[in-house]
This record gives sequence, structure tokens and C-alpha cells, in this order.
Amino acid sequence: MSEATREIRTDYLARVEGEGAMLVRIRDGALEEVQFRIFEPPRFFEALLRGRRFSEAPDITARICGICPIAYMASSAQAMERACGVELPEQLRLLRRLVYCGEWIESHVLHVAMLHAPDFLGYDGAIELARDRRDLVELALRLKKLGNELMRVIGGREVHPVNFRVGGFYRVPAEAELRALVPELEWAREAARELVRWTAGFEFPDYEREYAFVALSQPGEYAIERGRIVSSTGLDIDVAEYEQHFAETHLERSNALHSTLAGVGAYLVGPLARYALSHDRLSDVAQEAAEEAGLGPVCRNPFKSIVVRAVETLYAVDEALRIIAAYERPATPAVPCLPRAASGHGCTEAPRGICWHRYELDAEGTILDAKIVPPTSQNQKTIEEDLVGVVRASLDLPDERLAHVCEQTIRNYDPCISCATHFLRLEVERS
Amino acid sequence: MHLVRDALPAAGGGAKLTAAAVCLGSPYRGDDAVGPLVAERLRRAGADVLDCADEPTRLLDRWACLDTLVVVDAVVGGGPVGSVRRVDAGSGPLPRELRLASTHALGVAEVLELGRAVGRAPRRVVVLGVEGCAFELGDAVTPEVAAALDEVVAAALEELARNEEPCTSVR
Repeated sequence: MSEATREIRTDYLARVEGEGAMLVRIRDGALEEVQFRIFEPPRFFEALLRGRRFSEAPDITARICGICPIAYMASSAQAMERACGVELPEQLRLLRRLVYCGEWIESHVLHVAMLHAPDFLGYDGAIELARDRRDLVELALRLKKLGNELMRVIGGREVHPVNFRVGGFYRVPAEAELRALVPELEWAREAARELVRWTAGFEFPDYEREYAFVALSQPGEYAIERGRIVSSTGLDIDVAEYEQHFAETHLERSNALHSTLAGVGAYLVGPLARYALSHDRLSDVAQEAAEEAGLGPVCRNPFKSIVVRAVETLYAVDEALRIIAAYERPATPAVPCLPRAASGHGCTEAPRGICWHRYELDAEGTILDAKIVPPTSQNQKTIEEDLVGVVRASLDLPDERLAHVCEQTIRNYDPCISCATHFLRLEVERS
Repeated sequence: MHLVRDALPAAGGGAKLTAAAVCLGSPYRGDDAVGPLVAERLRRAGADVLDCADEPTRLLDRWACLDTLVVVDAVVGGGPVGSVRRVDAGSGPLPRELRLASTHALGVAEVLELGRAVGRAPRRVVVLGVEGCAFELGDAVTPEVAAALDEVVAAALEELARNEEPCTSVR
């Protein structure tokens, strides 16, 4: 290899969920190409849903992800309920939001403390961090356990919950079961504030981009389990109109599809998008913490997504307390949903961004067609564009350091490769 | 699908648990299925097998008070296919070669070390590694690995029987 040729390869990217690779090619000191290659095997969930009953979709799609099963269950259940023309009663909707808060807490805390924080502190991973900062790792583990507990109490178990159904739940918790969580949630509110202060103190690379943010939006609340799809570029649509504005393209190099927004191109979903589009709807406690952390109304530095995740963790804890305080056990755990020949669309805010589903049903409720768009595949093109920007700004770095910055850039997105596969080895070639 | 596979949460709560196994692997990837196959046999023999699920930090509370944890997984590069390697990880770090490959953000070996760093790890960890050679999606278990199952199960049961003070499970 000549002096002008530099090649860096990282075969498997660490601290992300699933299998994938990345290639960065640099020729004569200039960046030539950046590629993601997702080689996690495709799992054909959309195909195996065809021919199944509409009522089976939440349990089947939950198996797409062990970190964020609620996102798949909530989006598919919402799609089926819309297809049946059913709207959930308020208390059942709030229970869905509450179990979703549990998923946000456990997923965000895992990523913030165990997977992403080591990047900013110079550790190889969570083990080294735990040896130096046992207090913070213990705080994170306790917060995460609380998120899991919310999922267990409402969902029946922590992984792939069993208590979700189209129309509501199989069983709804008694008031006392939820109120028993209040003391730990009150501890968690302070712990999450500490998480925000800790992450806000990190040093962040000086990098910003004008992202096209896309998120759900719901008047009066920080959208999680319902809302219209809106963007920073002026889009404001019902979830049923998604396919008129967003396109998925298959690229030979990847088992995940690339998503684009018509007239815009790459777009960003997830914490930065939600925060930019709805930060004024966060609770007072979360807004104060964001302000103390110096976030401002819009954050365009993807490396600061770790701070936004911490703010969203605080919000999820606060929101869980609010929901539990007002909770009255619904008279029935579910409302009847009678199938009809119809299309049903569902979209909810998974921890990593919007998770969109469409199903076509026949009159008996058999699924004729299914389409599922997870958040990581929507962010894939934006991640590549971030890498281009970050590598161009860092060409003088030695290979090892450049590889680290690239990996850190990818981890900004908490990519869930397993979900996106329908993603990471890192290769940097310089010639 | 969910209705016929692991449909219900594992029974738990309050049982005295002193020793348990964690069996790693995918049933759909050739010799990687050795973990799930051993788990099934250990459960039939009445042993406690912890469900690793998709995110192993969830195991920290479950194994914190264990005297013995037996980890079963397929390994590569240690000898002839079907041979069984026993590594007593004691209380030190797991040997590098046994930082078992994981497609998850944090693997079981990393979570074990994380548990040690925060004082939540079993007293004794024994790894039983079965040498495999076929790991592609859809591969069958090789006859050599299938033939090693009885030996691994017997070794795991023997390790599980060698435990000391019981404690209350927090499963």
C-alpha cells in the first residue's frame, strides 16, 4: 500500500444490535465513497404474516426485536384497530403509552450508559466504565430494571410481552399493581436527571447538519403511541398517507431498505427529530433538564443525541408517574374488534424513531399483505451522509482514530440492525 | 408462532436457586444450536436454565446470588469438531478466546464481566464450549456435535451439582 493509500477495516461494529459492516474508501486524500452493508440475514416477517389472522400480528411482530417489542406490538395493534374502525378507550390508550414508557426507559438507558457513553469517555466498553464509575453503571442498571418492570407489570413479561391484543390487553393491572411502582419511579426521576447532567458534561465533536426531521406529532403531548407524521420540511400527514410521501429502495450491498422522503431525500427519525418537533410538549421537569443541559429548542449535533435520549428517559419516567396517578382500572381489558376487508395503518415512536406498519385484510380478517418500516432502515441513508460529513472533517486523523469516530457516528443512532434487516463491519480504504 | 413457542413466561419467584445454566446459540444456525439443545435436555433433567432472551443485562439480577453458573455455547478453533472444552473462569476475567461471539449489543461474557465490576456475578463460572464448524443460517447440526450432546449435558449436570450455599432466587 502506498503512502497515499490508507485502508482501515473493522469487520464487526461493536456495541450495536445485529450484524453489519461499513466501508469508507479514501483516494488521494479525498473521500470517495461511504457504504453501509447490512448482512444480518433477512427474516421475511412481512411474508410470513400473509395468511395469518389479523389478531396474530402483535405477537408475531413482537418477535422482530427483543429490545423494542412494544413498538412493533403497538404499531401493528393500532393498524388492526384502524382497519376494524375501532378507537381505544382513553384508559386503554394510556396503558399502551405507559408500557411504551417502560420500553423507552430500558432501551434508552441501555444505549446511553452501556453502549454510547464509553465513546465519549475513552473506554472500550461498559465493563471498563463500570470499573471506574460503578455508581453510574449501577444507577443505569437500576433505571433499566424499572423500565423492564413496567413492561412486565403491564405486558406480562419483559421480553416479547404476552399481554397485548388487538383492541387492548388480555388483562389490565389493578391500581395497586401500578401504584406499587411509584416509589421507584420517584427515585428514577432524580436518577434520570443525573443521567442528563452526566451526559451533558461530555465533550462533543463540533458537527452539525440541517436534518430533515420526521416524527409523530400529537397536540398537547410528546407523541409516543399516536399522532400525525410531521417533518421539519412542512409535511403533516395521517399515517395512512405515508407511502404517498416516503419511498423504500433496495440497494444490492445491504439487506435493509433505504428510505427517502419525496422532494427531500434522506431524513432523520428518532430522539433528535422528536425533540426538534415537540420539545415544547415535554413535561416541565424534562424541559428544565434540557435547558440546563444547553440543548436549546433544536439540536442538530447527532453526537448530542445521547443527551436527548437522557432527557427522553426523564420524560418517560415523569409521564409514567402522571399516568399512574390518574389510572383507574378499565372495566374491560379490551374492546371488540370485528375484522372487515380494509387496509390498516399504524405508526408509533419506537425508541429509535417511527415504526410504520400497513396491513391489507380480507373480510374474515386474514392478512393479505403486510409492510413494516422500522426506524433504523429509515435512518440508514442519513447515517451514511453523516459519515461522509464526519470523515471529510476528519481526514487528517490516523486510521485507528478515524475508525473510532466513524463507529461513534453510527452509534449516535443506536442502530438496531436486527430490526432493519429486510446492518456492521467497518472498512476504510485509502488509495 | 408465539402461541406454540415459549408462549408463557417462565415460572419463577421465591425458589431456592444455587446453580443455573445459560445456554447460548441460535437453533437455526447449524452447530450454534448446541446451546438450545443442551438447554432442553437440562430442563428435562430438572436443572435451572436461565432464559438469556435477547438482552443479557436482564440476567444480572438473576445470577447475582448463584454459587455456580454454567455457560454452554458452541466455540471455534479449539480442537476437533465435537470436542468439549471446560474452562473454569473462577473469579478472574473470562479468557479472551471465550469472549463468545454475539450478535447482540452486549454479549453474555461482557455482561458477566460487567456483573463482576458491580458486584453482581455468580461465585463460580464454568464455560463448556463445544467445538463446531457449521454456523450458516439453515445448516444442520453436524453429527460430531450431535454426538457430543450427552457428554455436555452430563458435564453441565455435574458442575451444577457442585454448589455451596443456597440463596433466594429473584427470578
